[in-house]
Amino acid sequence: MYKYALRRLLLAVPVLLLSSLIVFGLMRVMPGDALTALMGESGNIGEKELAKIRKDLRLDLPYHEQYLLWVWQMVSLHPGDSIFTGEPIAVSLAKAVPVTLELAALAMALGLVIAVPIGVLSATRQDSASDYVGRVVAVSGLSLPDFWLGTLVITFAAIWFHWIPAIGYVSFWESPLRNLQQFLLPAAVLGFRLSAATMRMTRSTVLEVLREDYVRTAWAKGLEGRIVVYKHALKNALIPVVTIVGGQLGVLLAGTVVVETIFALPGMGRLTVEAILFRDYPVVQTNVMLVAGTLVSLNLLVDLTYAWLDPRIRYQ
Amino acid sequence: MHDDLLAPQPSRLDRRQFLTHAGWTGLGAGALVAGAGRRRASAQAKPSYPEWIAASTSPPKRGGTLTRASAWDPPVIDPRLTQSVGLYQFAGLVGSRLVRYRFPDEVSGPADLSLKGDLAESWQASPDFRVWTFKLRPGVKWHNVAPLNGREFVAADVKYCFEAYAREGAQSFTFQEIEGIETPDKLTVRIHLKTPNVLFPQNVAEPITVLFSKEVLEEDGDLKKRMISTGPYILKEHTRKVRVVLARNPDYWDKGRPYIDEYVILSTPDAATRMAAFRTGQSEIIWLASPSEVETVRKTNANAVVHAYHNSLAPFGVALAQDKPPFNDVRVRRALSMAIDRQKQVDTVFEGHGILGWGVPYVYYQDKPLTAASFGPWWQYKPAEAKKLLAEAGHPNGFDTTLFYYEYFPQMTSQVQLVQQDLKRNLNINVKITKLDYTTYYGRYVESKWDGMSWGFQSGHAIGLDERTYQYMHSRSTKNFFRVNDPVIDELTTKLRQTPNVADQRAITKKIVDREFDQVLRMWMPYDNGFMVFQPHVRNAAAGALRRTDGYGSSAIARVWLDR
Repeated sequence: MYKYALRRLLLAVPVLLLSSLIVFGLMRVMPGDALTALMGESGNIGEKELAKIRKDLRLDLPYHEQYLLWVWQMVSLHPGDSIFTGEPIAVSLAKAVPVTLELAALAMALGLVIAVPIGVLSATRQDSASDYVGRVVAVSGLSLPDFWLGTLVITFAAIWFHWIPAIGYVSFWESPLRNLQQFLLPAAVLGFRLSAATMRMTRSTVLEVLREDYVRTAWAKGLEGRIVVYKHALKNALIPVVTIVGGQLGVLLAGTVVVETIFALPGMGRLTVEAILFRDYPVVQTNVMLVAGTLVSLNLLVDLTYAWLDPRIRYQ
Repeated sequence: MHDDLLAPQPSRLDRRQFLTHAGWTGLGAGALVAGAGRRRASAQAKPSYPEWIAASTSPPKRGGTLTRASAWDPPVIDPRLTQSVGLYQFAGLVGSRLVRYRFPDEVSGPADLSLKGDLAESWQASPDFRVWTFKLRPGVKWHNVAPLNGREFVAADVKYCFEAYAREGAQSFTFQEIEGIETPDKLTVRIHLKTPNVLFPQNVAEPITVLFSKEVLEEDGDLKKRMISTGPYILKEHTRKVRVVLARNPDYWDKGRPYIDEYVILSTPDAATRMAAFRTGQSEIIWLASPSEVETVRKTNANAVVHAYHNSLAPFGVALAQDKPPFNDVRVRRALSMAIDRQKQVDTVFEGHGILGWGVPYVYYQDKPLTAASFGPWWQYKPAEAKKLLAEAGHPNGFDTTLFYYEYFPQMTSQVQLVQQDLKRNLNINVKITKLDYTTYYGRYVESKWDGMSWGFQSGHAIGLDERTYQYMHSRSTKNFFRVNDPVIDELTTKLRQTPNVADQRAITKKIVDREFDQVLRMWMPYDNGFMVFQPHVRNAAAGALRRTDGYGSSAIARVWLDR
């Protein structure tokens, strides 16, 4: 297993290198740069002056030199400063990552709390009313886009309850209660969407496992239904579910921008999208690499989890 | 007017850019929340809201916290580096200027654009208007924050700041007009201009010309980390994408002001969330674009105070590559202008609450907003005549062209499509539309090398006549984005800078506008008249003629007080 993990880690290097080349290249292909976005608007900056500032920021270097410089900064864990704000990227990330992580973790937790029980219930009571309800909920979760659901939630909360989560992010350590109030609705919106795919996968895999011989044997032995389902069937049904959940966590880290925007949370999504729009090269590149690294790690973690869930699996 | 004209609004538009064209928006929350109610409301008589809210006559109350959910974030807090409304929604409260426009509570109507001293008590020009002498207010102190620690504000500070502005950055155009600055004593600043300019005080009254300190710039190397000045508020906190907190400056020179202890600006990029924040009392001021939005809010907040302000100008229009064929032919420009139904845009896109569109604020040359007739013949919707004129110009079968734009606000896309439709139907001109992101749009637009057409802009922050005429229309100005190159305009805008008499200024400005309309130099498009909406306890927060208190006109917040 250690050899397997090491081999996977080594394989991650070319993946990350390729990702770095793609994001670096894409940012350079896009027209304009951060200076255009920041000062071009005024119409007050001459080409000479812009050229001088670009030189100060090393944006005038040939692309390969810019790339190597950036890779070195990444490797030495000093990703540099934002061109747009001047803030060290590490500081920006230190503010944004916890927000997104908290949102993702809460959404995932809520998603699983909704998805697994309903998925199991749907499977064990196939084609019953509760199964149909569960499937409708799952299809709704897949069909309703985050922005629509989020807007509805916040608008109707304001109209019906004259309440919305307090705007102006407060960290968990500053005020746990207020922080949870701020995260509950966005996490529920995200979690509802996440739960849909997980719920459908749980239902289908549990259905499949319930038809296995060993489950029939368990029933024949006269075991209690709860034990058959939760102890014998569910654990083996979870492998595809874990795969899905692992993928969703990656998507969550990179794809919370809409919910962050609606609920005014200063997370990774808003940071990255703003940086893309303003051509803040180092911020975009660092964020993308962070997400790529996280995805690679999550995939590895998911693969390693298989053996724990199913001892028959061996890594070679 | 939108005070967010040139401010990148990634968040507000991100969502739209991601999702608008998915076709959900029309079916989504807006329709569910407001649709049914709107239909009911439209069947009733439209409520009318005051166009001007006079200052409160009650004695102001001290204290309290004013909170506002804002669409904007400051990209940086260094005033040399940006003209974004994200910064100037509070920079005018932290910083001061030499002179300023009167606040809404000091005037009797929105057309008063006269100047008043801010840190300057008085100012006067030499007979040739090349030397301007400003006498500073004695006893003004910098904020009592290190490294300034409340030291006295003196003439050398103005000299340092203006010279730094001229050296580099987004404000340099204004200050590069200065040839030299003398400080004969600590309260006198004498500014020598390269050319005469009777309107120079207006230029240093613009909201973007806030004064900053030598100490901070020299210690930090830039102004990105701290904002310390002499204004009514001290910057207590700035957390990007979260909040800006301003605390009352107890040592402000204007004793007794400001009234409010804290002003909190919450970064809230989503429009529905800002509206929800207002409805639930988390936000006390909101800007709304349309009458239907106002009606929606008033369903839950019947006591909200609504100010239906009227715009003095439109910041957006169709910019033509008028230095190249076919748009270098005035007949083509006139034909295009006559083929566009502007009133339809006002009626449909802006729900009837908009202006037809013009570029120079009317308050500088007449007392009332322009009527359709006052634009002259080339701005009337006359498709048949337009077609005839285009044929005379050698394009009887129309032509193909392009138009690129950035969607500053959702209605803009509808306007662009209506123009495309009008030009195709009336002139057989095929317009290929390209919607760009903010940075690409800017890069291409301000470079001024594009062909065809663009949905052009003029800067949103400016109030002054010089900015709106010479700086945006003179052929040699770097801000002449519409690529105006007209000797008559050059002569008139230069003459305006040398004309001290206000009546004469108005006459020249009128000539400039007439010339612009006649030659269709900038093809202005309709624009909304927005609404400022306040919680009922907010006093003196109405918008001024060209400035909203939630945007570039933020310095007026020093006059706001809470009656609760």
